[in-house]
Amino acid sequence: MGTYVFKRIITIIPIFLLATLLTFSMIHLSPVDPAEAYFTTAHIQATDEMLEQKRQEFGLDQPLLIQYVNALIKICQFDFGISYVTNKPVWEEITTRLPATIQLTLGSLLIAILVSVPIGFLAGIRKNSVIDHFSRFLSFIGASIPSFWLGYLFIFFFSVKLDLFPVEGTGTWKHLILPSVTLAFPLIALYTRLLRASVLENLQEPYVLFARTRGIHERVIMGKHVLRIAISPMITGLGMNLGNLLTGAIIVEVVFSWPGFGRYFIEAIFNRDVPVIQGYVLLAAGIFLISNLIVDLIQMLIDPRISRKGRQYQ
Amino acid sequence: MANKIYKKRILLISVMVLTLSIALLGCSSESVDNSNESSTSESENMITFAWPRDVGALNPHVYNPNQLFAQSMVYEPLVSYQDGGELKGHLAETWEISEDGTEYVFNLRQGVKFSDGTSFNAEIVKKNFDTILTNVDLHSWLGFIPKIAQTEVVDEYTFKLTLKESYYPTIQELAVVRPVRFLGEAGFPEDGDTSNGIAKPVGTGPWVLDEYKVDEYAIFKRNDHYWGELPNAEKIQVKVIPDAETRVLAFEKGDLDLIYGEGVISLDAFKQLESTENYGTSVSEPVATRQLVMNTNKEQLSDERVRQALHYGFNKEAMVEGVTSGLEEKADYILPPNFPYTSSVDVTTVDYNVEKANQLLEEAGWKLPEGKNVREKDGKPLEFELMYDSAESIQKLMAETLQSEWAGLGVKLNIVGVELTTQVERFKANEFDMNFFSNYGAPYDPHTFVNIVATEGFGFREAISSYPNKDELLNQIAEVKQTTDENERQQLYTTILGSLQEQGAIVPISYIKKIAIYQKNVSNFTFPANRDEHPFTGISVNE
Repeated sequence: MGTYVFKRIITIIPIFLLATLLTFSMIHLSPVDPAEAYFTTAHIQATDEMLEQKRQEFGLDQPLLIQYVNALIKICQFDFGISYVTNKPVWEEITTRLPATIQLTLGSLLIAILVSVPIGFLAGIRKNSVIDHFSRFLSFIGASIPSFWLGYLFIFFFSVKLDLFPVEGTGTWKHLILPSVTLAFPLIALYTRLLRASVLENLQEPYVLFARTRGIHERVIMGKHVLRIAISPMITGLGMNLGNLLTGAIIVEVVFSWPGFGRYFIEAIFNRDVPVIQGYVLLAAGIFLISNLIVDLIQMLIDPRISRKGRQYQ
Repeated sequence: MANKIYKKRILLISVMVLTLSIALLGCSSESVDNSNESSTSESENMITFAWPRDVGALNPHVYNPNQLFAQSMVYEPLVSYQDGGELKGHLAETWEISEDGTEYVFNLRQGVKFSDGTSFNAEIVKKNFDTILTNVDLHSWLGFIPKIAQTEVVDEYTFKLTLKESYYPTIQELAVVRPVRFLGEAGFPEDGDTSNGIAKPVGTGPWVLDEYKVDEYAIFKRNDHYWGELPNAEKIQVKVIPDAETRVLAFEKGDLDLIYGEGVISLDAFKQLESTENYGTSVSEPVATRQLVMNTNKEQLSDERVRQALHYGFNKEAMVEGVTSGLEEKADYILPPNFPYTSSVDVTTVDYNVEKANQLLEEAGWKLPEGKNVREKDGKPLEFELMYDSAESIQKLMAETLQSEWAGLGVKLNIVGVELTTQVERFKANEFDMNFFSNYGAPYDPHTFVNIVATEGFGFREAISSYPNKDELLNQIAEVKQTTDENERQQLYTTILGSLQEQGAIVPISYIKKIAIYQKNVSNFTFPANRDEHPFTGISVNE
């Protein structure tokens, strides 16, 4: 087991390096000059001298390779540079906004789990029942409605018409509900279907038949065996989606004026604030990698065959 | 074995519980803060309005991410720009300009205090100017700054500015929002260079920053030390709402008292809210002109007849009405006539006339071959590309309208949407056939506009290179900034603006306006004459 964990952690390093290289090249392949963008967003007509001075200040006058290596060295020291726009350290800018995004992400994750586990499970064990049809409908809606549109609908009905929740901002638990539900909706759609399919598959497994012939109570078979095994693909999905959630929060943060780092990222893109874009993408890559690692480890705890399998072939 | 499974389950459950508790903890601790905040704010005479971006650090001497309106709430200029382009004393009561136009002596207003109670005097004016001048390159877009030779304290309330050469727009440029407004002594950082940040926002303006939460809101309260008439409202709350539709919904719910600005909500939303008759609405005087710039460097566009034909060949009035729901006004002049020196420009205004357009194209040698729908000359089709800012729906719709209107004349127009920065870059590099542009507005124009036209590397100078009187125009533009004679200046502007427009490379389309929509309990809303200033001075809210 120790070797397995070690191996998994080691593989993260080259993937992360690849991510830094990709991010860096993509940003620098963009035809927009960050110095020009700096003045455009400030509504200033920049002369060539002004642009040249800004480029020097941003370090954009150096060869790309040197820029990349410098950036990499700094990242290793957790220094993501200084924002072109605010003149403050990017790390500080991101970390002050990160808690709001994490709060939103966890809120929606929680809602997604609380809704999709019972519905998906019941839909699986009662195929073609009312709840199964309902789950299909829910998934259909969740998968097909874009988040921003759903957000507007929620604001219109629940805030403007019914006055149950605030339109925007943060503060109370009420502020958290609408954005979290909006963000959770596509996840609910996904997890409900995932769990339902997995439950149906497990019901066909010989262990269920064996348990039944042993005379074990149906409730015990379902709760203790089927659900526990069937939930495994959902946990994989969760891990994969944690990164998605953080990045998917961008649109929801804009619609609900949520002061998270997704919104900050959008502004950075418009301003071509390269250090911020770089910092954001690398952080997102890091979160993706680490959440996948954690999921694999949890999977292994639930289903020890995963690590054992590895050992079999050694 | 059972023990092992049990341990794992405990681990799983604890992970879940941890997740749950973090989420809940986040909510509960936040709610405590909020209860305090709402209790302080609701009891007062406060106006809440929404802005797409955070107000920024309120540094008076730098640009992004500081928002102009917020800087103008806290900091004041020596001179203020009034309706019709009149320049009035503000922190400077009067000024004298030397005969040769290089020395400016300002008599400062006495008894003005910064929000921390310290006095405003010539010393602090000099200190502000000097810190601005340490970054002269950054501010060189503002014409008079690179021309400053010396700043001087004559006595406690007299400040003298000496220029290297005469530059008439100096007084007008002193009315801009940044970088020439004044930070109090306590606001300066230790090294004195404000370009890297300020210690705190201390100004002489009517408002002081009271509460601030980055990306969420900023609350400004009245400055008790203010020298002028105190504002009616006690507080102004600026909520940061980046999304235009959310702003509309928040306004409909009653969370906002006011929505104000240019392009802050869609024109459809504005019209829809207006039609309910539940709210007050205002539309400003023109703040700028939307122009279509034709690059005369391109062979087909080098012929004035072609440019004129294209101007005659679309129904401007119908287009502006249709695209902007009548919120913008059809423009006859390349600068709005409510700016200084722009009211007496004498040009032939162009009205929709398809016949004349076709006739001009025929005259220019562009014939429509049989069986084809694009005109040709020497085997070349009459085809152009129009570049627009893809994020701006008005430009896109106008581009599409022009495409279909000109198709009727036998002109093929390809339209291409690009990002704003790319649009600026391509314009400056002269890599375009046609482009949308809008001038800077008050208090920058007309001098900034003609300056851009004359400066190399901004696109205009290259674009008008086929004008036969180009060199004469450039000379006149250079002259107008230096002349000290008011009449001569007026005459020069009349000639320059008239000639630029008459030759058809710059086509005025519409006058851009600001909108405001407010709840019924808001009264005395007026638009500031300066495009970048805040509108809160006279505004009040009835409880």
